[in-house]
Amino acid sequence: MRMLPTGEYIPGHSFLHRLDARVKLPCFFILMAAVIGAASLWGYVLVVAVIAVLILLSGLPLPAAVASVRRIYGFLLVIFLMNALFFGGEDVLASWGIVQLSRGGMEQGFRVVGNVVLILVLGNLLTMTTLPTQVTAALASLIKPLKFIGVPTEEVAMILSIAIQFIPTLMEETELIKMAQIARGARFESRKLPERAASFIPLVVPVFISAFRRAEELALAMEARGYRNAQNRTRRKKEPLALRDYGALTVCTLICLVQFLLRRC
Amino acid sequence: MLIEGKNICFTYEVGGSSFALQEVDIDIAPGEFVVILGANGSGKSTLVRHFNALLTLQRGELKVARIDVRNEQDVWLLRRLCGMVFQNPDHQFVSSVVEEDIAFGLENYKVPRDVIPERVRSALALVEMNGYEKRSPHTLSGGQKQRVVLAGVLALEPEIIIFDEATAMLDPTGRQEVIKIMQKLHRAGKTIIAITHYVEEAVAADKVILMHQGRVLACGRPQAILTNLELMQVAELIPPLPVRLYYDLQQAGIQLNRCPLTNEELAEAICQFRSNT
Repeated sequence: MRMLPTGEYIPGHSFLHRLDARVKLPCFFILMAAVIGAASLWGYVLVVAVIAVLILLSGLPLPAAVASVRRIYGFLLVIFLMNALFFGGEDVLASWGIVQLSRGGMEQGFRVVGNVVLILVLGNLLTMTTLPTQVTAALASLIKPLKFIGVPTEEVAMILSIAIQFIPTLMEETELIKMAQIARGARFESRKLPERAASFIPLVVPVFISAFRRAEELALAMEARGYRNAQNRTRRKKEPLALRDYGALTVCTLICLVQFLLRRC
Repeated sequence: MLIEGKNICFTYEVGGSSFALQEVDIDIAPGEFVVILGANGSGKSTLVRHFNALLTLQRGELKVARIDVRNEQDVWLLRRLCGMVFQNPDHQFVSSVVEEDIAFGLENYKVPRDVIPERVRSALALVEMNGYEKRSPHTLSGGQKQRVVLAGVLALEPEIIIFDEATAMLDPTGRQEVIKIMQKLHRAGKTIIAITHYVEEAVAADKVILMHQGRVLACGRPQAILTNLELMQVAELIPPLPVRLYYDLQQAGIQLNRCPLTNEELAEAICQFRSNT
C-alpha cells in the first residue's frame, strides 16, 4: 500500500506527539506568522532556532523532518531565480534586457525560499506527529463556533476526515492506472511541460471515475452501518487540555510577539 | 423463518423492463449458513441489499425478523439486525485508525460513550485482531482489512451477517482467513448469508441458492446443487474440481461410489474405489 508521500504520521511518544492537536494547529499558524514576519537576520535566527528545538522535541530524525524540502529543490530554485532576476531594485549586478540580477532581488529570493522551507518543515512536524483523524477532530473543534452562522461543522469534519484517509488509496489507484496506460504505450516522462501536462489528461478521467465509484461504495457501507447524519451520533469525549498544551500555546504566542518586536527595532 | 421473501421484483431503471430481480422467493431460517451463488449480474447483490433496506422493495413481499422492509421507520433497526460486509475493504473504511473505524457504527446508533471501547475490543477479539486497535487499516493485509471491516459490523451485534462477495478481492490466504471467521460465527449461532461466485465456498453451506439472470434457478443442499452439471452450466458456473473429476472419471469408465464435493471426499472415494477393485 502506497502512503502519503511526505509528512505522513510517524507513531511516537515525543512531546510534540503528546501535544493536543487543538493546540498544535493554532501553534502552527502562530509560528507560520512568526516565519512570515521575520524581517532581519536575528528574526530568522529566532525562527530557525525554534524549529530546531521543535525537531528535537518531535523525536523525529532530521532527514524525515526535512524530507518534503528535498523533493522541491527545483521549485525552490525557480522561486529564487524569479525573485533574483525580476525583482528589480537599485543595486543591479548584471542586466540582460528586462532581466536584471540585483542584490535586492537575491535577498528577496533567499527570504521567500527561506520562508517556504521553514513553513514546509513546520507543516511536516505537524503532520508527522499528529494523526489525520486528530487534525480533523481538532479542525472540527476549532470551527465549531461557525455552527452559529449555519455552517454544518460536523459534516465538514466528517468530509475532511474521509477525504484525508482516502488519499493513500487514491494515490495507489492513480499509480495502477498510470502503469496500465504505460503498458499500452502512454508516455508520462516527457521533459517538455506542455507535453507532460497533456499526457496526464487521459489519467484524470479514470481516476475521477474511480473516485466517484469509491465514494458511492463508501456511502453504501456507511448507510449499512447506520449512518444518518453527523449530528445524530455518540459524541466522542473531549480530553481537557493539559498544562503542556497551555504552555506550548503561550510560548508560541510569545515567540510571535518577539518576532514582531524585532521587526520594529 | 428469519427472512421470508415472496415474488420480489426489482429494476434499476425507473419504469424499465430490464429486471435485476424477477419473482424471487426466498426463505432463510435462523442460524442457517446460506450461500447465494451466481455469475456476475445474476442479481445476488441486488437481492441481499433489500434485506437491510439499502434498496427499496419495488414489488413483492419481504420480511426480515418479521419486520416489513418497506417500513421506513424500521430501516435503522433492519440495518442493525443485518450487518453487511462489502467486496472491497478499502472502500469501507471511514477512519484511518482501526478502533475508530470499528466504533463508527456504534456511534451511529448512539451507543453510550463508555460502552464503546469494550464493544470494540470484543469485536476485534472475535475476528482475532486484538492488538491492532491503533493501527491504520491501510497498513494491513487484504484479509486483515476485511476482518477489521467485519469487526465494525460485529460490534453492532447483528443477528444476520451478509458477506457481499467479501472474499472476491482477497488472495487465497486472505480468503481462508475470512471463510474461517464466517464458519466460526456460524458455529456461534449467527445467520450467515454469503454471496459468491467461487463455487468452492458454497461447499460448507447449509443451503445454496443458485441465481441466474435475476431469478432463483435452484435452492437446496450443496450436494444437490453443485453436483448438477446441467444446473451449473445454465448458471454459467464451473462446478468444483472434485465434481468435474468425478464426471471425467465416469466418462473414462471409472465409477466412484458418490460424487465428491471436496478434495478430501475425492481422495476418500478414489481410495474406496481402489480397495473395491
